[in-house]
Amino acid sequence: MRKLTRREIVRLAGIMGAGVLVPREVQAFGSMIDAIVDKMSEGIKGTIGEYVETPPPTPGAKWGMVIDLGLCIGCRRCSYGCKLENNVSETINPPYIMVFQTKYEPGQVMAESDLLGKHREHGTLKYTQLRKDRMYMPIQCNHCLDAPCTKVCPTKATYKSDDGIVMMDYNKCIGCRYCMAACPYGARRFNWSKPAEIPAEKINRLVPIRTDGVVEKCTFCVHRTRRGKTTRCVEVCPNRARTFGNLNDPDSAVSKIITTERNFRLKVGLNTGPNIFYLTDPKKKPMSWFKPVPLDMNIRGLKS
Amino acid sequence: MKVIKDALGYAMGNLAAADRKFYLYCFVLLVIAGVGLSDAVIAVAEGHHHSNMSDMVPWGIFISGLAFFIGLSAGATMVGLLIHGFGRDDYHPIGTRAILIGMICIFAAMGCVMMDVGNPFRAMKIPFLLRNETSMFFISSSSYMGFTALLMAELVSTVYVTIGKAGRRGKKIAKVLGIIAVPYALIVVHSFTGTIFGVVKAREMWNTPLLPVHFVTSALASGFALVILVTIITSWVNKKHLVSKETYNHMGIMLCFFLIATVFLDTFDYLILKYSGTAEGLETWDIFTGRYLVTFLINMVGLYVALIMTAFKKLRTPTGLFYASVIVIIAIAAYRINLISIGQLVPLYHELGEIQYVPNIHEIAPFIGLTAALMLLFALLTKVLPMEDTVHATNE
Repeated sequence: MRKLTRREIVRLAGIMGAGVLVPREVQAFGSMIDAIVDKMSEGIKGTIGEYVETPPPTPGAKWGMVIDLGLCIGCRRCSYGCKLENNVSETINPPYIMVFQTKYEPGQVMAESDLLGKHREHGTLKYTQLRKDRMYMPIQCNHCLDAPCTKVCPTKATYKSDDGIVMMDYNKCIGCRYCMAACPYGARRFNWSKPAEIPAEKINRLVPIRTDGVVEKCTFCVHRTRRGKTTRCVEVCPNRARTFGNLNDPDSAVSKIITTERNFRLKVGLNTGPNIFYLTDPKKKPMSWFKPVPLDMNIRGLKS
Repeated sequence: MKVIKDALGYAMGNLAAADRKFYLYCFVLLVIAGVGLSDAVIAVAEGHHHSNMSDMVPWGIFISGLAFFIGLSAGATMVGLLIHGFGRDDYHPIGTRAILIGMICIFAAMGCVMMDVGNPFRAMKIPFLLRNETSMFFISSSSYMGFTALLMAELVSTVYVTIGKAGRRGKKIAKVLGIIAVPYALIVVHSFTGTIFGVVKAREMWNTPLLPVHFVTSALASGFALVILVTIITSWVNKKHLVSKETYNHMGIMLCFFLIATVFLDTFDYLILKYSGTAEGLETWDIFTGRYLVTFLINMVGLYVALIMTAFKKLRTPTGLFYASVIVIIAIAAYRINLISIGQLVPLYHELGEIQYVPNIHEIAPFIGLTAALMLLFALLTKVLPMEDTVHATNE
């Protein structure tokens, strides 16, 4: 039998390697082209996935929410419930509702020294244990009266509807993320990759499925609230820390709370007119029974 | 028909006459462009998950690139104004090149936007099918289209003047276009690019009415520096100076004035952050003097060094101006990154902790690829278009 030279061995190995690799590479290239063609078609036709009809705005309503920080125990059930209700993919992290564990107790105000001092150590988003001596702060879209995101969006993909909800039209979103840069509340999420597939039995057919390259956010569960229900986060809160309702109706629970109890809104100095109100009265928290719903600690852009 | 035939014949003749070095240079640029831009194609197919951008830092190096390239286009208009508005005929030999630089920088800026957005095909519907008149992004992107059209018209008229075929009317058109391009560029293009960031009240470093002015001054400085740089490199390659010593001196003085305004605004921008006393201002200052000290120093030290270099007549030689221009361009690139990308590192809530962003290879590669592609375009266009001024030859 003829002995192979070194050059022939290398050549043979190269051919075998190419034989193994090429089909996979060609396949990957093919799927990449498919993805670009899909995106082109979405971009030109302007439709992503199945059409889902959004109910029209409720006449005369202006939706708002009250969150009682004295009652919030930081269990993250609002965040988790919201995720399931709104078909939020696992690739979206943090979820629409972020819950912070602050170093303050309910009712306590920030010290002046803290404002100018080492504010980075004040609290955390990634807590794993609930503590009685801490205040928990859920943050989400504030559905501002004068929302900066709607002004800066170049395509009107995000807009203020007549009932006060800041909406998203995924079919118009070009993914420029100007709304994210302009939102003072960090309430918007971008699909940096193709959203992880949600099992068919878990998909909420009333909420559209998103794709990569578009921004998404809390819509005050528009598919529920405009059909006479409350939001999912209100429904799942075990301590009833959240109240949702019509701010234009003086008899609604939210209107009564904000006119009778001391409350504040986030970053009012920016004049955005947020429609989420926080109560600060310290109350005893019944929290002997919960562990927080775990959060994926791998959050893009945050130090691990 | 005959004009097109003649033009094509001229272009092909020039390309055929090019030496091997030119083709090698083009080939290298083509390879860099291909490799770099392939990452951008993957991002279109798979999304931006390979990048280091995040929900916390939604705008990364591409939007910094947009501001940087738009700024670089300002030099073109200044040369046009000097020629047509102030009658500086000694700038004629670089007139066509300057306009080409302006056009290519606009293409680069629009390329940066296209590489950044989630769906570039849908973005092409702006401004005709999708629009929001209150959005500075919409206004700016529309103004870039207008600017491209204006520069194209200016290019055609300047080429006619350069080859000596423009009549009295043609010269008048070139003059009018050269003059109106300046207010259009400064007031519409650069100011509104600054306003994209200036209107964002969520970000401490952006939300200032001085930002549009700052964008105008830094655009003039970086744009004029690029024109100087291209003039010197072309002179070195051709082994013949395109402009006289006196013109180089004048260019240095112009750059010096633009730098004075930029350095003034830059210095006070940072000082105000420090002395504002607000938590966000102090946090921004901490970031610049801590984690991102390098880019901060490149920006500030670079501008001061370039200012000193252009302030002395002895240093306003081609070699001195070459170094000063390179420093200015790098310093202003650092300013764009500081302002746009690092400006977002101040957390919107203290509870978020430390936010991180450093562009990775999947962001830098498309950026380099785009730059190489446009350098290639510039090289080809300078070859096929008549660049030599046969009418206003004042060379030494």
